[in-house]
Amino acid sequence: MRAAPASAWRRFLRDREGLSGLVVLILFAFMAVFADLLADPAGLDVTKATGKALEAPSWAFPLGTDHAGRSVLTMIVHGSQTTLLVGLAATVISMVLGTLIGVASGHFSGLIGGTLNRLIEWFLVIPYLPLAIVLATVFPPGLPKLVSVIVVIGVTSWSGTARLVRAQTMAIEARPYLERARALGGGHWHQMTRHVLPNVMPLVLANTTLTVSIAIIAETTLSFLGLGDPLRVSWGRILEQAHDLGAIDLNAWWWVLAPGIAVVLTVRAFNMCGRALERILDPRLEM
Amino acid sequence: MSSTPPAPKSWLTNQSARGLRARIAAVAAVALSALAAMAAPAAADGSPSATPGGTPARSKTSFVIGVKQDIDSLNPYVGVVASAFDMYQLMYDYLTVSSAADFSPAPSLAQSWDTSADGKTWTFHLRTGVKWSDGVDLTAKDVVYTFQRAKTDETANGQYSSYVDNITDISAPDAATVVMTTAKPSPIMLRLAVPILPEHVWSKISAADAATFANDKGVVGSGPFQLAEAKKGQFYRFTANKSYFDGAPKIDELVFGVFADDSALAQALRQGEIDMAQELPAAIAETLRDKPGITVNDAQYYGFNEIGYNLGAATVDGKAIGDGHPALRDKQVRLAIDTAIDRKTLVDKVLNGHGVPASGVIPPIYADLHWNPGTDARVFDLAKANAILDAAGYVEGSDGVRAKDGRKLELRLFGRDSSEYSKQTTEYVRSWLKDIGIKVTVSIMSEDNLTTVLGKGDFDLFEWGWVVEPDPDFQLSVMTCDQRSYEEDGEIAAGWSDSFYCNPKFDELYAEQQTMIDAKARAQVVKDAQKLLYDDVAYSLTYYYNQTEAYRSDRFTGFVPQPSQGGILAFQYGTHSYRSIEPVTEAPGVKDAGTGTTIVVLIVAGAVVVLAVLVLVIVLVRRRKSADDRE
Repeated sequence: MRAAPASAWRRFLRDREGLSGLVVLILFAFMAVFADLLADPAGLDVTKATGKALEAPSWAFPLGTDHAGRSVLTMIVHGSQTTLLVGLAATVISMVLGTLIGVASGHFSGLIGGTLNRLIEWFLVIPYLPLAIVLATVFPPGLPKLVSVIVVIGVTSWSGTARLVRAQTMAIEARPYLERARALGGGHWHQMTRHVLPNVMPLVLANTTLTVSIAIIAETTLSFLGLGDPLRVSWGRILEQAHDLGAIDLNAWWWVLAPGIAVVLTVRAFNMCGRALERILDPRLEM
Repeated sequence: MSSTPPAPKSWLTNQSARGLRARIAAVAAVALSALAAMAAPAAADGSPSATPGGTPARSKTSFVIGVKQDIDSLNPYVGVVASAFDMYQLMYDYLTVSSAADFSPAPSLAQSWDTSADGKTWTFHLRTGVKWSDGVDLTAKDVVYTFQRAKTDETANGQYSSYVDNITDISAPDAATVVMTTAKPSPIMLRLAVPILPEHVWSKISAADAATFANDKGVVGSGPFQLAEAKKGQFYRFTANKSYFDGAPKIDELVFGVFADDSALAQALRQGEIDMAQELPAAIAETLRDKPGITVNDAQYYGFNEIGYNLGAATVDGKAIGDGHPALRDKQVRLAIDTAIDRKTLVDKVLNGHGVPASGVIPPIYADLHWNPGTDARVFDLAKANAILDAAGYVEGSDGVRAKDGRKLELRLFGRDSSEYSKQTTEYVRSWLKDIGIKVTVSIMSEDNLTTVLGKGDFDLFEWGWVVEPDPDFQLSVMTCDQRSYEEDGEIAAGWSDSFYCNPKFDELYAEQQTMIDAKARAQVVKDAQKLLYDDVAYSLTYYYNQTEAYRSDRFTGFVPQPSQGGILAFQYGTHSYRSIEPVTEAPGVKDAGTGTTIVVLIVAGAVVVLAVLVLVIVLVRRRKSADDRE
């Protein structure tokens, strides 16, 4: 059963795990939106860096500096923009694709449904990372890297959602009111949009929050592997530079730890929210 | 992921046929790196993911070098990467070799040579008594066979055409003499980097098989080392040829272990798994500097990097191609850009000081041929760069971007994703050019993609570099009109030129040096050619980078640098170092490592014993308990 929005919201506020995740998320969102006010973007310019290379954390540079003397804190504040943007945009692609294909494959029987189902399975069994790497490598070089990373993550991460939505669709289609709708002459479109979609939406919503965290990790991974946009600061890009320039050998722990903790916090926060939503929207889990 | 200095676009040889092959290799490399990346998370703890794990127990006379570039093929007709050519040098010999002291041609298989008065007939006197590793004598017949095949066999010619195409006739009057006749006099005749192959082995490999022959088992060669075992992507093990004519190697075994990344390589050296790291990023090498038993060699290297310009892309026939910004054909614009590049900052910040600002296209390591502007060098001066653009009529608009004749100075700058240095350089250049009213959009792409884009002329600016061989011919040829792209079956095929520079005056100088046998006179022409390139701002050279090697000086000694002043110790032109390395007689470091391992073994053994006792006690107690229950 679907909970009414207002009561769901109240239950969410009562869920301590969800609430603490939400607080962290709001903080990070705030940081991303007001990045330019929090830290001067000129601090990202290598030719105008004020610090010395690899300074340990101090009052002037709370999280130390990188190889070019830029403040790591400034980079993390601005990096949150790219990381969150890619994470959210990729999730939108992933959810739209997952929902569309999931509903369609659950609704249609026969050739179409079977083909779509095989497609989902195909994407499920292919190890995600190699697929993403290959896609990112062959993406047309003319397009901005940022777009390619978003598309690559979106295109490679929808299969899990589709599977979930498909199962839910089939469960809903077995209910009597859909039989009624069919008997009254409701077309495929009508059935899918008026009856199935509203019923799978809560599930999709909960899943979205979980997918964001996967997308953020994917963005960080791809950037770390050098497949991201190298000219835009993101947490993964900071990690990549730190690794490539030997931060570990140089004992520059702040350079690695700070973006790493930022990733962990964000992902954890999204997961906490997602789990709380799941609990609220899917009563079966409350056993 | 790698942050190595630019991958060589050319290495040792210089023929356009290589272009396509290099590209295929690059595609393969992309696929490989994808695979490597797959493996990477598994080895995320930084442990070397491709240690020479399968190597047999090491003796004190076995020297292990960690490298990052895998060998693409052990077949000397096929390989394209630098490390492959190092393997050929180990297994085979050449007529001449570049000396360790200063790269000058020195005797190898040919112990002496004469040139006819017109410079067209060359007589090489071979060393006698040289044997192949299977006991057969190496004679002039093998040399003739090798060169004939390099002329006629398609695969072999693809690899060595630049050396052999000028040779019209080759013969062996007796077993120890080879006579070659050339169409034009050529200084390259003393740098014929064609490995001499055994006729009795290679004549059995047909022209059709030559391109696919692996040459990784039972290799018959005459070189100072012979291949014992090859595991692609893991290690290459060579045993010393103790009867080598030019002095037997002092080590018994030479092993090349392939590593996935720099940190793993540095770690392996620290742990003593390897004796030398062939190449490390400067920042990582710094951390090894004060480690006892490890010596870091910050060697001068023969490469440079540049910001390249699209000087008006056109085919050899003069047909305009590509979509380069027309303003770059204006020398004043290039002059302004060149003036806005702070080379010192690049060296300090990007290279951590491990290099020097660059000017002439022949690096200073080749002291006789290198040219630099000295005190006339253009210095970094943003105000002056702005003034140049003002004077040339590029007026700054309201958005801070200059424009002339309605076209804004908005340029694309392409960097390479395989090099951290490249990414950083583009970042700096973009920022400086912004200060002089030029808007730069940076794209980072694979070297493979960049090669394609350059060949088609679809670029404005790019960052790349060249590795320059001892003979200046190839490096200069890159800037000639003939090396521009050409049309083949309606498609644009790339030549070696990446700037589409075409200046008849330069072509004249190039042609002139090509036939000059007198080294001094030729050097002057080569210098004039470099000056012309600098004055025309054909490239904006950024820096000559160093190559940083590190080795276990507590274990091995006797390295021979090339050149003798601050040169590199491995991967040289020749096998000078490999043959001279010897184990240190007293090796305290090794002993330390030994006790270290012993302690670890003891701790582990102790832990196992304690655990076993614990399990035993628990089992016994339980059994007693259950026995009690039963009672």
